[in-house]
Amino acid sequence: MNDRSFRPLLSRRRLLTATSALAFAALVATAGVTPALAEDGAHDGGDVVFLIDSLGDTWIPNNSAISSFQGHIWGHVTDKLLYVDADGKVSPWIAERWEQNDNATEFTLHLRTGVTFSDGTPLDAAAVVANLDIWYAGRKSEGINPIGLFPKTYDHAEAVDATTVKVFFKKPTLGFIPTLGYHGSILISPKTIASPASAQADLSKTSGSGPYVVESWKEGDYVTLAKRKDYNWGPVAVGQTGPAHLDTITYKLVSEPSLRVAAVQSGQADVAYNASPQELESLKSEGLTVATPRYLGFVNGWAINTKLAPYDDVKVRQALQTGINRQEIIDTVYTPDWKLATSFIQSNVPGATDQRALLAYNPEKAEKLLDEAGWKKGSDGIRVKDGKPLLLTLNSNPYLATSKSIDELISQQLGKIGWKVQIRAYDVVTFGQKVKYGGAGVPAYEVTRSFIDAGTVAGILTNANNGENWFALDESDKTLNDLRDKIAGAGSIEARKPLLDELQKYVLDQGYFIPRTQIVQRIYVQSPKLKGEVYNGVAYASYYTATKSE
Amino acid sequence: MSKAYFNYAGKRLLQAIVVILLSYVFTFVVVSILPGDPITNVLNNPQNGFTPDEIKEIIAAQGLDKPIPVQLWNAFSGFVTGDLGLSMRTNRPVATLIGEVLPSTLVLASAGLAVALFLATIIAYGTQFLPPRFGQGLLRGFPSLFLSVPNFVIGLVLIHLFGFQLGVFRVIEPDSLWATLFAAIALGIPISAQIAEVLIANLDHESGQDYAAVARGRGLGQMRLFVMHLLKPSSLPVITVVALTIGELLGGSLITETVFGRNGLGSLVQRSVSTQDLPVLQAVVSLAAVVFVVVNLIADLTYPLLDPRVKLLGSQQRRPTTADDSSLPISKAVTP
Repeated sequence: MNDRSFRPLLSRRRLLTATSALAFAALVATAGVTPALAEDGAHDGGDVVFLIDSLGDTWIPNNSAISSFQGHIWGHVTDKLLYVDADGKVSPWIAERWEQNDNATEFTLHLRTGVTFSDGTPLDAAAVVANLDIWYAGRKSEGINPIGLFPKTYDHAEAVDATTVKVFFKKPTLGFIPTLGYHGSILISPKTIASPASAQADLSKTSGSGPYVVESWKEGDYVTLAKRKDYNWGPVAVGQTGPAHLDTITYKLVSEPSLRVAAVQSGQADVAYNASPQELESLKSEGLTVATPRYLGFVNGWAINTKLAPYDDVKVRQALQTGINRQEIIDTVYTPDWKLATSFIQSNVPGATDQRALLAYNPEKAEKLLDEAGWKKGSDGIRVKDGKPLLLTLNSNPYLATSKSIDELISQQLGKIGWKVQIRAYDVVTFGQKVKYGGAGVPAYEVTRSFIDAGTVAGILTNANNGENWFALDESDKTLNDLRDKIAGAGSIEARKPLLDELQKYVLDQGYFIPRTQIVQRIYVQSPKLKGEVYNGVAYASYYTATKSE
Repeated sequence: MSKAYFNYAGKRLLQAIVVILLSYVFTFVVVSILPGDPITNVLNNPQNGFTPDEIKEIIAAQGLDKPIPVQLWNAFSGFVTGDLGLSMRTNRPVATLIGEVLPSTLVLASAGLAVALFLATIIAYGTQFLPPRFGQGLLRGFPSLFLSVPNFVIGLVLIHLFGFQLGVFRVIEPDSLWATLFAAIALGIPISAQIAEVLIANLDHESGQDYAAVARGRGLGQMRLFVMHLLKPSSLPVITVVALTIGELLGGSLITETVFGRNGLGSLVQRSVSTQDLPVLQAVVSLAAVVFVVVNLIADLTYPLLDPRVKLLGSQQRRPTTADDSSLPISKAVTP
């Protein structure tokens, strides 16, 4: 289209601008009559439209609360026992205080009084026990899953009195307390929990105790939340305990990313979720608010399959560790909002330590290690040993839009030191079927994942207690197993800290895990009129504290 | 109506039922042999951290570990008795899910068809009566142009122009009147192409006929000639094309709904395909098969009633797209 064809549009637009300016003036003129001002000067009221790329699948609380899409809605409709902020700091919420025994097998939770679910049921000790039980066990025959990340060491819980709950574990479970502030640990009315799966799948029939209730919803289309006026039990950590300011929040599905952003630019919506990182700088310069909150978890990187040659050789793994230029990834694919990896867990996680020295880009060292391991450069620049080329097959993570671009960049970097890199891209379903930790032909499994507590990390890395055995080591690495057992058995955060540091050093030095970047999983592009939102430990935006100016 | 007609109708009806049942079995087998289903997808997502034992237990509870013929039989016996089952993905009744989205798709599809018919008629009229120097020839290229521009491109252009630039509609209210109209335009444009092609071909044929020459000789106006004389005989084959277009209306609505953010049958199918939600796919495919078969059945059954020249030879006799010259009562020899 040429410029000329746009001319009538522009004049039309000018007309629209003029009329909206008039409307704005009228609003300002009448604003004095509306007394809806909170004490701190913030406006009460207002409606927010949040554009999202998916509303996920089922709404059965156990099956959906961990989803990266439904988590937004659950964060407003439900409360949690504890609050975990973006730095992993745990603070009171529905549980006012808590105690544990010396070896972290028994916990006592003391609940706040006067809290009710939106169906009128009190949130008391019995309700908490009902929630703990279903988080642990689910109702599998009905299709209600357990919450995968809930400690498998759970034994049982009992209501001592209306406000006291005692929780028992079969083994020390230091991660239990932070678990209560995360992901799936959302408190649901016992009435909802008792109802069949098909009723739980109807979002409007689910009651939580959160600052908003579901006003209306349509599967695959939208969810509208309305403020609960009697809400008075917000987490102290966010600086507000009374009702929310905004009247409604509507989550609307718009699957085209460019439309989501354009709708916020044109003022038709307030927040666009998951914009492309490359667009962010220009959106900021337009005056839009761009938020890239960090979450607690693993950095984006690879778990290496140590059973698969040549990655069974520690020198090859170490060459991979030093042969990647991580700064170049951030400069090329991302923006300065993304940070360099300093360990295999994100640097904001309590217990994460700085292992930068092990992750420095050093191609000379990588080449020397490969020479020592017997991989000699051929005439085409690719290293060969026993007639086989040095090959790395990468399966780009379909859950992460930028994954393939990073793979391509790494392929160039490794190509320079003699690696031949193959990149495969599958859709989500095929990826889930074919690409598994330590699977045949999967030398490097790409991880992007949040977790509950740094202590759970050790168990995931090996196959102990149904662990995921990320590096296909089974029980072969004695040092790793010792660290795992000591971390699992630690009774206090202080005792665990040096062990966690040792674990991080060991795993990176052995080249078991190859970090790429610290990850931003959620990107928010927001109208400057909307202010005061809070991001929790898994980077979900909560608009409970937010206000919107006209 | 003759006995021959009822024979013909009976045969066609039987055919229709067989087609619907075959499409059911075919969908089931194809989707079942593909890897994955929504339940396993969720369980395998490492973010959820389920243990292998838990995964096994949950899959067994859903009956997904049973052999495919057994699963097919269970689903099929439910389907025949009208029980569409629960969606694996959402855990909600399939009938409810379809009931929620069907009205939106029906509105879009009928509006899209109306747009297509309107556009096709305008274009066809233009090719007959627009003076050559005002682009009569150019108009004949429109159907090919319309067919070659994908409807998502048309949709995105319309949204940016009318949604964002002019603010005629809001993308967050895709079911509003204006948003529906523009979605219908995006859907209708490619579909109008096929209808226009057939209409133009028939108008070309009809306007070369003697009766048209006679009418023109009597000094009949262009509009009157078009509406009163040419349109009716030329429209008959259009019924066939419209019936065949139903499939495309359903397919096109999938893309249009995604682009415009409408929540209809198309977007339900898209979500169900990407997660391989078998019960929903099964129901939607069967529904689509029923609609397609019924529409074509109606076309087939009304055709002989509208045009007695069509012989009732069951499926061997295809419907003509243009009138058959040899059966015309007026001989070409009479042309002055």
